[in-house]
Amino acid sequence: MTFIMYLVLFSFVLGLVAVASNPSPYFAALGLVVVAGMGCGVLVGHGGPFLSLVLFLIYLGGMLVVFAYSAALAAEPYPETWGSRPVVTYMVVYLAGVVLVSALFWGGWYESSWGSADELGEFSMFRGDMAGVALMYSAGGWMLVISAWVLLLTLFVVLELTRGLSRGALRAV
Amino acid sequence: MNPYIMALLLFGLGLGTTITFASSHWLLAWMGLEINTLAIIPLMAQHHHPRAVEATTKYFLTQATAAAMLLFASTTNAWLTGEWDIQQMSHPLPTTMITLALALKIGLAPMHSWMPEVLQGLDLTTGLILSTWQKLAPFALFLQIHPNNSTILITLGLASTLVGGWGGLNQTQLRKILAYSSIAHLGWMTLVLQFAPSLTLLTLLTYFVMTFSAFLVFKLNKATTVNSLAISWAKTPILTSLAPLILLSLGGLPPLTGFLPKWLILQELTKQGLPLLATFAALTALLSLYFYLRLSYAMTLTMFPNNLAGSAPWRFHSPQLTLPLAVSTATAILTLPLAPAAMALFAP
Repeated sequence: MTFIMYLVLFSFVLGLVAVASNPSPYFAALGLVVVAGMGCGVLVGHGGPFLSLVLFLIYLGGMLVVFAYSAALAAEPYPETWGSRPVVTYMVVYLAGVVLVSALFWGGWYESSWGSADELGEFSMFRGDMAGVALMYSAGGWMLVISAWVLLLTLFVVLELTRGLSRGALRAV
Repeated sequence: MNPYIMALLLFGLGLGTTITFASSHWLLAWMGLEINTLAIIPLMAQHHHPRAVEATTKYFLTQATAAAMLLFASTTNAWLTGEWDIQQMSHPLPTTMITLALALKIGLAPMHSWMPEVLQGLDLTTGLILSTWQKLAPFALFLQIHPNNSTILITLGLASTLVGGWGGLNQTQLRKILAYSSIAHLGWMTLVLQFAPSLTLLTLLTYFVMTFSAFLVFKLNKATTVNSLAISWAKTPILTSLAPLILLSLGGLPPLTGFLPKWLILQELTKQGLPLLATFAALTALLSLYFYLRLSYAMTLTMFPNNLAGSAPWRFHSPQLTLPLAVSTATAILTLPLAPAAMALFAP
């Protein structure tokens, strides 16, 4: 388990480096996908399978659209990636920054920021994350209504913004 | 725009502000701010011309950044102190981050540069909504947190009054001048926020009344530059003679309403033992006063050369509704004698 967590966290940081250092949208979006997937893995490992599932479905659903869109919009014949020299420079600089920051905060970050949701999972009837979501919507049922309303509002906002593409200023490149 | 969609969006504007007002929980407050931003965006871009869409994009990016920072800070707060309540902020790090996020949201001085650019791309009605109604929800949050670092608020406030006066000096575009005037007024509100929050509220309300009148005067004259304002005097002569009073009230000259908040703020700062700060703030108000005075000069105090047809009052009455303008103009000019009542109402 420890080895898997090491692997997941390492891939998480590697994905972030890919997002930050890549000049071409292909590989940056790919890095974002890796980061999201590995973040879900971290959540599963620390007692949040339901949250992880929600994040995976919703975020990766959106991410797929972003990936397809950026791949279609910025189709380059020779996209630059980790092989080329400036990208490698960026990567080294960013990784050095990560190492520096983690060396600075090593002691403080280890204990308090690494709790898991279900340390006593055997003694409780519900999992922490599912019980939390249930509590949020039972104590604040109106929040569900408002969230649904906001989704409807967002639909109309997007429709209103993209309406009349031929005469508008907002159009595809 | 379809009237049903318009109603939906205006309802969204109201709903967002109401949710932020009513919430004591950071998550709901953030939701309210986001609803507000979402609902105004199609209203800003409703004419679909490039300037409006550019302004909308700038506004969206700024507000999204500020809202994300606010959400991040409130999660950090919950993580560090286990507390989601707005009034129970105790840790300095999230409090400072939230202060800065709200400053970005309302456009205080080091984070102000989006405000003139956005306002310049909009028509005057949407600009009015942007510089009045959209400030309400962030200010409700601003009044509720208790910043434990007084230097930040004073720096933000003084920088805003300075930049608001300085930036407006060389402008010829009315909407940019109004944006800088908004920045300067928000700076005054931030300056007194930690000493007397009720004065902040009073300043906000008087600013709303005065800027409402200024926007509606410009809208009635269909003027967005100083040039078109200078030749618009023949359209509604009485309004033209009242407009300098509105502008100088914004500038804060004594017999007018705008003097009231500045007077009370300067008095409060002096009472708190900060005479130097009060002096600086009053001096920066002079910079603002200069461009209000220049607008009054161009609009009323001189007659610019124009052809014969342009300088005679022959036009029909405007079909626009003028009652709100009449009420707000009277309030923006004449309520200084009500100062004791305002004090009793806002600072009991």
